[in-house]
Amino acid sequence: MAALSAAPWRRGCPPALQLVRRGSKAVTRHWKAMHFQRQKLMAVTEYVAPRPAVPPRCRPPDTGARVDQEDDGYVRLLQRQVQEAFRDNRMIAVCQYNAMAGDDVVLLRHYLRRHNIEVKFFLNEIVRPVLAQSKYRNLLPLFVARNLLLVSREAKAKEMLRVLKGVPQVNLLGACIDDTILSRQGVENFAKLPSLEVVQGQAVGALSLLPSQTSSLLQCSSAHLTALLDQHIRRLQEGEGGAPVQPSPEPTGAH
Amino acid sequence: MASKIQVVLRPVKSIVVRFCPFESNVESTRNFLACINHKRIQATNKNCEVTADVRHDGSEPVVDVMFVDGDRLIMKGANLTTVEMLTALGTRCNAKEIKEEQKSKKKSL
Repeated sequence: MAALSAAPWRRGCPPALQLVRRGSKAVTRHWKAMHFQRQKLMAVTEYVAPRPAVPPRCRPPDTGARVDQEDDGYVRLLQRQVQEAFRDNRMIAVCQYNAMAGDDVVLLRHYLRRHNIEVKFFLNEIVRPVLAQSKYRNLLPLFVARNLLLVSREAKAKEMLRVLKGVPQVNLLGACIDDTILSRQGVENFAKLPSLEVVQGQAVGALSLLPSQTSSLLQCSSAHLTALLDQHIRRLQEGEGGAPVQPSPEPTGAH
Repeated sequence: MASKIQVVLRPVKSIVVRFCPFESNVESTRNFLACINHKRIQATNKNCEVTADVRHDGSEPVVDVMFVDGDRLIMKGANLTTVEMLTALGTRCNAKEIKEEQKSKKKSL
């Protein structure tokens, strides 16, 4: 009992565990080196990834085929907006948009809004699938780089061209007016055409020109005959000389 | 990537970009036009005129660059990428700049 009660350092042999007086605990706020035994254990039990039976470079390359993402609600909304823009507007012009200062964009929007032309920005990834399934398939090659859509319910091509001439950073590529796809030249020619009322008046005038000449055409032969007979009678009378002149009977109306 | 290429347009007098938008090989030319019109590149030379000639005749996309000293660079963009066109223009502009600097140094000496 006395031997057991005596402190271990009084027995004469050094203790098995040397307890450091200011030793830190297991979980510390500073970095603490692992115990050597623990280091050995960690080294031995490190994870070794299994090697694939066929190395990846021997397999056909994966073209990064993305799984078709579920239709995002926002994407669907934007596509619906594109469809509405194409459905409700008579004139849709596609322009290339090069970088412009914000103030210039605002001014451009203002000048075009005066003529009821709206400026719309759509991303190509949204517009392309919508167009591919609609009847505007031939406009697909236009939607490649940064684009701008000018849409309007009236086909005011002249005003649009005038505004765009003052903005060199926006280049008109093509337009779809009244379901007809036009190139830039086509839009310029369209702008030079007279307005619909003037053209209608010209058409009506051209069509009514012929009927207005019908009555004179029909009377022309009988009038010619009358004139010839008059002249003949006059000559006969002059030939006879002194004979009483009798007025020739008037022709009784047209046939 | 294409917007990070620095091009100094000081030795350039004018750039004409001609393309037909309904063709399928105009993407790189259109991107080139968009990059050239960036304010950083435009700021290097305010006198350089950049014109876009939009046609509908099925012709190939062409970039025609006129330099101040009379040289002309024609790039046919049908089979070129935007980066290639920008680097080609950039290297030629840099070479001309260096020549100009050397000339001005010789004159001042």
